[in-house]
Amino acid sequence: MGVDASVADLARRMAAVVGPRNCFSADADLLTYECDGVTHGRTRPALVVLPASTEEVVELVRLARAAGRPIVPRGSGTGLSGGARPIPGSVVVGLARMRRILEVNLEDAWVRVQPGVINLDVTRAVSAAGLYYAPDPSSQSICSIGGNVAENAGGAHCLKYGFTANHVLGARVVLDDGKVADLGGPALDVPGHDLLSVLVGSEGMLGIVTEVTLRLLRKPEATRTFFATFPSTDEAGEAVSRIIAAGILPAAIEMMDRLAIVAAKAATGLDWPDVGAALLMDADGPLAEVEHVSERALGIARQAGALELRVPRSEAERLLMWKGRKSAFAAVGRISPNYLVEDGVIPRSEIAPVLREIDGMAKDHGLRVANVFHAGDGNLHPLVLYDARESGQEHRAEHLGGEILRMCVRYGGSITGEHGVGSDKAAYMRDMFCEDDLETMQWVRAAFDPECRFNPGKVFPTPLPCGERPGRGEPHPAEKAGLAERW
Amino acid sequence: MEPRPGTDADAVQGQVPRLVYEPATVDEAAEVLTRCAREQHAVAFVGGGTELGLGPPPSALDAVLRTSRLDRLVEHAPADQIVTVEAGMTLAALQRLLAPHHQWLALDPPWPERATVGGIVAANSFGARRARYGSVRDLVIGVSMIRADGTRAKGGGKVVKNVAGFDLPRLLVGSLGTLGLVATATFRLHPRPEAAATVLVPGVAPARAWDLARSWRERQLEPTSAAALAVSDRLDVGVRFEGFAPGVAQQVERLLDVARGLGCGAERLDDAAAASFWERHDAVRTGGPLRAKVSAPPSRLGEVSRSVLAPLLGELSPASAAWYPSLGLGFVAGRPASPAGVARAVEEARRALAPQGGSLVLCDAPAEVRASVDPWGPPPAAFALMEEVKQRLDPDRRLNPGRFVGGL
Repeated sequence: MGVDASVADLARRMAAVVGPRNCFSADADLLTYECDGVTHGRTRPALVVLPASTEEVVELVRLARAAGRPIVPRGSGTGLSGGARPIPGSVVVGLARMRRILEVNLEDAWVRVQPGVINLDVTRAVSAAGLYYAPDPSSQSICSIGGNVAENAGGAHCLKYGFTANHVLGARVVLDDGKVADLGGPALDVPGHDLLSVLVGSEGMLGIVTEVTLRLLRKPEATRTFFATFPSTDEAGEAVSRIIAAGILPAAIEMMDRLAIVAAKAATGLDWPDVGAALLMDADGPLAEVEHVSERALGIARQAGALELRVPRSEAERLLMWKGRKSAFAAVGRISPNYLVEDGVIPRSEIAPVLREIDGMAKDHGLRVANVFHAGDGNLHPLVLYDARESGQEHRAEHLGGEILRMCVRYGGSITGEHGVGSDKAAYMRDMFCEDDLETMQWVRAAFDPECRFNPGKVFPTPLPCGERPGRGEPHPAEKAGLAERW
Repeated sequence: MEPRPGTDADAVQGQVPRLVYEPATVDEAAEVLTRCAREQHAVAFVGGGTELGLGPPPSALDAVLRTSRLDRLVEHAPADQIVTVEAGMTLAALQRLLAPHHQWLALDPPWPERATVGGIVAANSFGARRARYGSVRDLVIGVSMIRADGTRAKGGGKVVKNVAGFDLPRLLVGSLGTLGLVATATFRLHPRPEAAATVLVPGVAPARAWDLARSWRERQLEPTSAAALAVSDRLDVGVRFEGFAPGVAQQVERLLDVARGLGCGAERLDDAAAASFWERHDAVRTGGPLRAKVSAPPSRLGEVSRSVLAPLLGELSPASAAWYPSLGLGFVAGRPASPAGVARAVEEARRALAPQGGSLVLCDAPAEVRASVDPWGPPPAAFALMEEVKQRLDPDRRLNPGRFVGGL
């Protein structure tokens, strides 16, 4: 059977479910879907379908299963770990059309939304009532709630408020057999195993989430922000440690090193000085608490060797400071033709030695690394700068990125704090986890998706192609289906 | 690791195990589970025994593994605000270790002198501070588990921010030992607040208590705990603020103002009165012989009080109830007048809660009550998936069999 014929047949059936305009297989139409926020390693899927309802998703899953094809769920495609990167022969189920806010309960402070709803639109929908949705990944104006759930997205303010996992109350998920499962719910502590917690952060590998119930928070009364510059990341790191040791829990505390500051300035025109490091801190909460905390933090920053302390005089100025921070990734494009974003985590007390080590490793590789990161929780975002036109640089950059992640693990940290493992970091999972750890995770996966229908090839390192043992010792279904080589 | 014979003191809901293991190290615990696997023994894990009343009696029980000797500190990194401990350490012992560093694990379930870290994870135990700090799932960042086959496996890590791999730590929270033994757990810590104050709003009608909670949220107050204690058909609402002194003082004033605005009397309690309010709260949380946990949307407090709490309280004597108004969770405790009557009240309460997504779980109950009503209530919507997870992790159904939801 020719692949094209089988794809054409499947496309016809799927088009009957979602409408011909929402199902495409022509090369030109598939281009957008070849990658997510990680643009290397582009791969063309067989088919892209855009369902509009849970019922349509159920039908699509049944059809894909009957055709023996893997499914790659996709939100806005902003992910930074290649989590939505298709595999050859797969059906990409894009959830961008499912962007309705289904129910708003202001009294109990939750919303029920479809997965394609944009993160920031949740807050927009409830802000008149003084509520907001806390997780704030830098891409929040374009990333989707479904993608946030898949990756357990974080953001600058998760130091105080937690990650997506701390804010999802319930989810509806379509499983491989076409059944629909409702996990959790608006009332707390539903009896039974907490499968919702496994679903969040499962990187699209357990099923397709078609509804999510999110907890909303009351906006804090006051926010105080300051920007502090330091001679080097040593003093800045020391300031962070002392602020935390003083019993202060900032809403966010972000650090940028010299190169990142240069890039942010180039992109935004901010009048930041040329210094070795800068901190941007938010304290929020009830007014008196916040004023007390920010005064203390400013004092600590001064004692730790701050060169200059700036307190924004207006909300506009405050937002501008944050714009500088949030645009730092893209800003790096101003000072380098290409860059890789890493997402390692280290114990925050190790910031200074780790940054020195990164600096040394960058020199060894003949490359530059700009560091922008969530200092409060030790989540580093080293941006490895390179020029793809120079032969060998891209390869060296990838090698350096990998070495940085391994170093994070050596310091007792993680290979990913918020971007996910996806296809990009799977190779480093063994640096953190042994085979038994991974096997246990695979068992959990197999309970949801015994045939590895959803997003195969992500998170788990090869050579265990899909690792789990559906029938304990039986050949993998993918092998039986003759699909193994594609994965 | 040789077992000793079980005694009455080792019983799980009246069933005495043949064998009792008391491993002193995580390696020994793994050996025990390997041996149980080889001999196909059903095994229950017991920490401080504070939550053994949860669920039905075991459907099989060959061995008990006690975690009491697994009580070591593995790592405390004060600067990183994380701690890793073995499962058998009690919460009070852990808090004593952390206190000199002005830190704590922000969990305050009942019986801290007995409740162990592993048991708290397995039973998803919590106290009033959940209002601010969340529950176990919000604070656990890593576990090392021992599987049914005796293999050690870990999930998560020791940094607060980490999304590598599937979330095994949270999966184990509340799993009551049905998926594996929690051998060590790693938690995020918080600084101990330097100041605290409790405001009492006494004698509030239940629906009014919700108005009060909604109003303090509206006024952007952030209490660390709030509990409403039942006094006949009224509630005494205690609201605790903790943090830096200026913040606490300002929030207290504002809450007094909020209460006055709703026509409620309110006062800031002195230290002794505050301690006695929270002791009254603790008494409900440790009350019995029947103790039920109720979950419902917070805004439904008036209705829940009428159709769930009042009928249950009517079947108990003495009777007490504590409700966490901002969470929509609460506990009812007391001595059943008649097992049949209380069983009926439980069933009726469940019928009233179901349409709102709420639930009622018996945390403890006399055997006669347990015999006539399922302690967990009807299996949840995703039960088939839970069975699948159980099947993958414990295919022989030897880990705490029969004690969990739906007989898992």
